[in-house]
Amino acid sequence: MQRTIMTVDDSPSMRMLLNAALSDLGYAIIAAEDGRAALDQLRDLRPDLIITDINMPHLDGFGLIEQLRGMPEHANRPILVLTTESSDEKKARARQAGATGWIVKPFDPVKLAAAIRRVLH
Amino acid sequence: MTGNVRGVFKRVTVMQGETRVSDDPAVVMTTVLGSCISACFFDPVAKVGGLNHFLLAEPGQAGTDPASMQRYGVYAMEVLINAMLALGASRTSLRARIYGGASMHDGLHDIGAANAAFARRFLKDERIILVGEDVGGRDAKRVEFRPTLGLARCRTAAEPAFVPIRRHTPPAHRPSGDVEFF
Repeated sequence: MQRTIMTVDDSPSMRMLLNAALSDLGYAIIAAEDGRAALDQLRDLRPDLIITDINMPHLDGFGLIEQLRGMPEHANRPILVLTTESSDEKKARARQAGATGWIVKPFDPVKLAAAIRRVLH
Repeated sequence: MTGNVRGVFKRVTVMQGETRVSDDPAVVMTTVLGSCISACFFDPVAKVGGLNHFLLAEPGQAGTDPASMQRYGVYAMEVLINAMLALGASRTSLRARIYGGASMHDGLHDIGAANAAFARRFLKDERIILVGEDVGGRDAKRVEFRPTLGLARCRTAAEPAFVPIRRHTPPAHRPSGDVEFF
């Protein structure tokens, strides 16, 4: 059964990069341009994994994760943060919000694939 | 360019691999470009601006495939955009100028042209309006950028075409691509 990954990033270029990398790995991809758009889709959708940026308009990655963790259908869904940020403070905030893991951009396709396998399989 | 009330500028030199942003009207950012590209972004409403200076790849380096180059190019641009947003810029207000991308060597893969093509494609994909550029040619260029005004001056560098460029490698402490599970 094909697994589905939702990618959340306000950069069209990054969404295209992720789509290319993750499609090559055999995953079906759903993309959202920010946290608010992701939340709208996630009221009905149940992807196997969510990969989200932090710095986004309308609703940032922290806010998205916090809201999802308050929804029973997404309380235990794997959520990976993919961001240019690398501060301990931001990581701690993501951990507290309920993120599963943290990946620093630019992503390494091999490491990303391994991380996805770890959370999905 | 006119200075501030006292006529004194604060000159900020940006080296390869660096990104600088500012909301200080007295700041002038300067950089020298060979085949590298500098993207100068500004928000005319918030009066915030900045620039990066990146070289995507050179022949023989690991990760010179187009996908690798694009990952690092998108990263370089995202760092600049995020830094500007942190200073109060709005993504929808961003305007850009690009400089550099010279062909510095004969007979070799034209890295400058590839860098320039990436920059233009990125701006188009991101719907950031390109308001000016001076790319290509065979000479190094010196760029001076007033970030709060979005004004730039680009001249052929006085130095010879083979401008010493500090090669950028990610700092040892930067966990680029690393994954941490909570």
